[in-house]
Amino acid sequence: MERVEYPYNRKNREGLKGWLNPFSYGWERFSYWSQRLTGLFLLVYFIGHVYETSSIVNGLDAWNMMLELTQTIWGHLFLIMVIGTSTFHSINGIRLILTEVGKGLGKPSMPEYPYHPSSLNKTQKSGIWIALTLAAVAMLYGTNVLFSGD
Amino acid sequence: MNRFTLKESMIMKIHYVTGLAAMLVVAIHILMRLISPYNLTLQYDHVILNYHNLLYAAVLESILVLISIHGFNGLRIILLELRQGMYWENGVIVATIVAMIAVVLYGTRTIIIASGLGL
Repeated sequence: MERVEYPYNRKNREGLKGWLNPFSYGWERFSYWSQRLTGLFLLVYFIGHVYETSSIVNGLDAWNMMLELTQTIWGHLFLIMVIGTSTFHSINGIRLILTEVGKGLGKPSMPEYPYHPSSLNKTQKSGIWIALTLAAVAMLYGTNVLFSGD
Repeated sequence: MNRFTLKESMIMKIHYVTGLAAMLVVAIHILMRLISPYNLTLQYDHVILNYHNLLYAAVLESILVLISIHGFNGLRIILLELRQGMYWENGVIVATIVAMIAVVLYGTRTIIIASGLGL
């Protein structure tokens, strides 16, 4: 009996390697990749945060022991990463929602050499830059709060 | 498609709405850490007082539910982009729903006990 194949070529299925392939990166690819990586990082942090804060139900000693683990330089640096990634993920997410509803995509036009995609216009690129800039600003503010203790 | 299956377009709308709503409630959560000196807000008594404020406990619960839905649906989307197939897709959907429910239940337990509602 002949083996039934999937309707697509398995060789074309690049999986994680294709997802993280650094060649031929454009701004949209960078945004796509960053949105997913920051999302995964934030999900891991969120699960850890839910677990970490559950120590409050075990009383003062358990809470203080958890604080000793997290309120360190490395803990603060990790939190600064969380601040940066969550800001980027949020702002870039708003850009993606606006894109999905058709905002900032530009007008459709006839394909003309050198075939610049009208969707990857200044509005889209500036949206990604705004997300990166605000993430950097939030990280600076977070650094000030965490390391000054105020 | 049976009548209990959500269309992918509807799931994406839920994804966007939960993301936007999560931004608002997380902003409140962060502001609660910034209205007093940061180190003071992490003291045991201060945190317990936060939990005893039922409005703030409701904010924490909404963060828990919104981010769990948004986060685990995001994970589902990523995993379905990486690989396709009936068993994989069904497995991913079931696993992400189970994980989401587990995180919500565990976090809700903390909120109920710390807010004094479970005593």
